[in-house]
Amino acid sequence: MSILEAKEISKVYTVDHRNITVLNQVSLKVEVGEFVVITGSSGSGKTTLLTLISGLDQPSSGQVFIDQQNITGASEDDLAPFRNSIIGFVFQSYHLVPSMTALENIMFPAELLGDPNAAQKARQLLKRLGLEERADNLPSQLSGGEKQRISLCRAMINQPKLLFADEPTGNLDSENGKKMLSQLVELKTEQGATLILVTHNPEIAQASDRVLTLKDGRLSE
Amino acid sequence: MIHTHFIIRQLSRSSKQAVVFILCIILSLSTLTAFTGFSKSVNRSLLDDAKKLHAADIIIRTYDKMSDGLEKAVAEQVRLGRVELARFYEFNSVVRAPDKQKSLLSRLKVVEKGYPFYGEVVLLSGLSFHDVLTPGHVVVEKTLLDRLGLSVGDPIKVGFTTLTIGDVVLSEPDRPMNFFSFGPRVFISSQDLNALGLLQTGSRIRTVYLLKSKDDAQTDALTNLFKQAAIRGQERVNTYQTAGSRIKRFLDNFIFFLKLVGIFILIIAGVGIHGTLTAFLKEKEQTIAIMKTIGATNRHITLHFMLIVFLLSLIGTVMGILVGTVLQRGLAGLLADFLPPDLRLSIVWSGVFENIVIGFSVVAMFTFIPLYRLREMRPVMILREETPRSAKRWPLYASGAMFALFFFGLVFWHMQDFRFGLYFVAGVGGLILITYLCTHLMLWILKGWKSRQLVVRQAIKGLFRQGGATKTIIITLTASLSVIFSIYLIEKNLDATFIRSYPEGAPNMIILDIQPSQKEAFTQMLDQKVRFYPLIRARILAINGETIKHDSERRRRRDNLSRVFNLTYQNSLLEYEKIIKGKGLFRKDWTEPQVSILDIVGDMRKMGIGDTIRFKIQGVPLEARISSIRTRIKESLTPFFYFVLQEKTLGAAPQTVFSTLRMENDKIGPLQTKIVNRFPNISVIDVSSAVQVFGRLLKRLSKIIRGFSILSMAAGVLILISAVFATRAQRITESVYYKILGAKKTFVFRVFTLENIFIGLLSGFLALIVSQVVAFLVCRSVFEIPYHLYLTSCLLMIGATLLLIITIGVISTKSILERKPITYLREQPDG
Ligand SMILES: Nc1ncnc2c1ncn2[C@@H]1O[C@H](COP(=O)(O)OP(=O)(O)OP(=O)(O)O)[C@@H](O)[C@H]1O
Ligand SMILES: [Mg+2]
Repeated sequence: MSILEAKEISKVYTVDHRNITVLNQVSLKVEVGEFVVITGSSGSGKTTLLTLISGLDQPSSGQVFIDQQNITGASEDDLAPFRNSIIGFVFQSYHLVPSMTALENIMFPAELLGDPNAAQKARQLLKRLGLEERADNLPSQLSGGEKQRISLCRAMINQPKLLFADEPTGNLDSENGKKMLSQLVELKTEQGATLILVTHNPEIAQASDRVLTLKDGRLSE
Repeated sequence: MIHTHFIIRQLSRSSKQAVVFILCIILSLSTLTAFTGFSKSVNRSLLDDAKKLHAADIIIRTYDKMSDGLEKAVAEQVRLGRVELARFYEFNSVVRAPDKQKSLLSRLKVVEKGYPFYGEVVLLSGLSFHDVLTPGHVVVEKTLLDRLGLSVGDPIKVGFTTLTIGDVVLSEPDRPMNFFSFGPRVFISSQDLNALGLLQTGSRIRTVYLLKSKDDAQTDALTNLFKQAAIRGQERVNTYQTAGSRIKRFLDNFIFFLKLVGIFILIIAGVGIHGTLTAFLKEKEQTIAIMKTIGATNRHITLHFMLIVFLLSLIGTVMGILVGTVLQRGLAGLLADFLPPDLRLSIVWSGVFENIVIGFSVVAMFTFIPLYRLREMRPVMILREETPRSAKRWPLYASGAMFALFFFGLVFWHMQDFRFGLYFVAGVGGLILITYLCTHLMLWILKGWKSRQLVVRQAIKGLFRQGGATKTIIITLTASLSVIFSIYLIEKNLDATFIRSYPEGAPNMIILDIQPSQKEAFTQMLDQKVRFYPLIRARILAINGETIKHDSERRRRRDNLSRVFNLTYQNSLLEYEKIIKGKGLFRKDWTEPQVSILDIVGDMRKMGIGDTIRFKIQGVPLEARISSIRTRIKESLTPFFYFVLQEKTLGAAPQTVFSTLRMENDKIGPLQTKIVNRFPNISVIDVSSAVQVFGRLLKRLSKIIRGFSILSMAAGVLILISAVFATRAQRITESVYYKILGAKKTFVFRVFTLENIFIGLLSGFLALIVSQVVAFLVCRSVFEIPYHLYLTSCLLMIGATLLLIITIGVISTKSILERKPITYLREQPDG
């Protein structure tokens, strides 16, 4: 059973009346529990693809199904429950809420669900990633690696079925990058989630079930 | 090097902030221009037209009979040909339509041929005034004809004679047509004065001698000469330049109030200017940080942003002055009834210049800190989201001190009254300080509030958003709301005391100028028991041997001891009074004349039992010892007297008698006619209709005042908008993050709205407390009326405020809510 399916999606950006086709009729199917890596050179459209299949953006044409449901053209509010409990997203550039502490950032999605154990779960995750000490820090008081791990915790707190990670190690040294990734994969396996990861790292690619490469707006295995 | 493109780009990218910034400047400058412009042009016009407004060069006024000395001095100068003299007498009397059984209290003006020396009395027929006002004729106001059902050519009874209506008066130079007056004007020729039979001693007649000096250069010398001859405190001699008028006093007070509002708006708008500029620069932070990274100097950056500020200020100033000029016209229109006829309103250029200087100073002061902060911005801000707290505090203190100084200067410059200026500054300062402390406290309590509701917690967090200036918003909103609430409360209380709650059973007719000999016939005619109050007019010469100084007394803002007082004699206490000091009203063991005083007299000068007051009654001195001090138990409309003496002391003094009656409204008119037909010298005042006239006046004035205080609300609203802009970037971030984490639009909306509700509630309730205190103090100590809280109305007003704030919040955050998360995420640097 597929958890994610993209049918011939294209993305065209218009800059100064000129159309730039970043994605050209890309199709993709991901099964439950799979670990898929997407690679491609810089500017090839990896982030773009990820935002489309995660519902953060709408494709110019084509359709996206998450958990058998067509999310193409859905309103922001219709997408909200998906984002909250089905999808987890770890961004290339963290995107933590600056006015909330680390703990609060992690708790937030659970709180939106009305989960009474939000704080407890968040603390567990923090502990897991060795960040208990940083619970009350604001994002501006954290290092890049720490922020990345906080954003991982935040993505995992509602135990999403589908986890997207956009170069989560891009800003880390290789040592920390490795640690982060192994934690990511660990959490994924533990929760039985599906992981779609963008990375340049060949080592990780090896550990995955499938490696997809983006080039000239097309996706190939 | 100046990059024009850079400036244009920066402006067009943040056009909304630029617009709010300009609006703040327009608001402050337009009100200032309108108020000062209006005041300057009114003052100039009053001065330029002063001769017309007083109809003479030298004006001598008295409520007594002109003293022999002064009479002689004037006659001498007239004989020498140095001055021309025209006298007039002004008093109230009831005039009647002979066959129509209708009567009306009117303001009579009996004038001699020369009146007016300057300006003219304009008649409906277009004929010249004195051609119409020949002996046997009167010239009346239109309303009199309407109310008595008469027309030109009809006879009219005035006093003991019948005259013919010659024409309708449209305007007279020395009184605006609708100025405070309870009766329409009736002009009578001085040759008919004696026939009226109304000049009995005791009636309150205003005698005015108008003099036209043959040689302008001699005016001052002549004035001094007459001053020497005049009895101080009884006869007032002035030139057209020094003679104050009721119009001038009224306008002075009104303009004084407008200026207060103007300065207040200026300050609040200044805060708005500061807020929008901070928001504007906040949005530029990234740009600035990057500019610095690639080597732009502080000088370069500051210069460019200063140019931007200057450009915006220039636009704001020019538009503000234009709007202000229009507003000034509107103001004159609103006040037309109270202004002298043909008052010329012109643009006073010195005023415009003054305002430009003030406008730029305010902008300079409120933009200094945000611009200065540019220097402290570090390129590191590209990497970190926090704004570094300014290391150096002195620029903040320096600008604070500069602002205080400027504010003081402005207040003193406009108030021209050091003591009052000080009170005002201290009052506003205290108000802001208290509001600040309360805000601080309440925010502190809120901060500690760990609600179980996520929305509530996020909203509270929003209040402490960086650069959100929640305190500034609450303080300015509180300040402007306090002004509006206070005015409203004061107006309501005045209205309730004077207008609406005309007490059941309280007398609603006052019958004046009854001659002692008419008492019996009067009682018979009314066929009911009537209480008479004898009235003896007197001045106070000295208290405990210490002479009353007229000059210093007159300078008091409220009642003073140099005026004419009405004494009475009674052997028992009046209704609603009780004795608070002394044994009984009068002492049996004293043989000398005794006087019982009302406690409020003690406000003007401390006095106690046994002290002596030296009165002068019709030129005759009388010394009396204070035997008791009374107080009024209840505010009521029954007559009361400051000084009550014994019948044996005053019974023989020249006096008139007055009485009060309670009548049903529809019977007042016929009764008035009946009384005056029988006793033409008696004046009847219909208190309830007088109260209505006063009420209408109060309503009109308070409407104007409220209109202006709403302007200060506009300033508060601008601040709120500017604050939303200031936190726009952060709000967008928050809303986007909420959304990508799965929050619905309504959640974001609820957080932002709740945040505004907190702000609205806090400022509303603070304003409620402040305005209740202010209104209480004003009502009790200035107007001396009972005070009601009007809590329901207040809660309604707070509700309205909330609604306004929420609406503004919704409108200004709408575009934030609509933002698609992806667009935003793309723009973000690594966080
Ligand atoms: N809003 C936009 N408007 C125009 N062009 C865009 C927009 N967003 C992305 N692009 C272009 O689309 C292409 C793909 O961008 P994308 O961010 O997906 O690349 P990427 O594969 O994630 O690169 P990297 O590995 O450097 O992160 C780029 O060439 C970029 O310039
Ligand atoms: Mg990318």
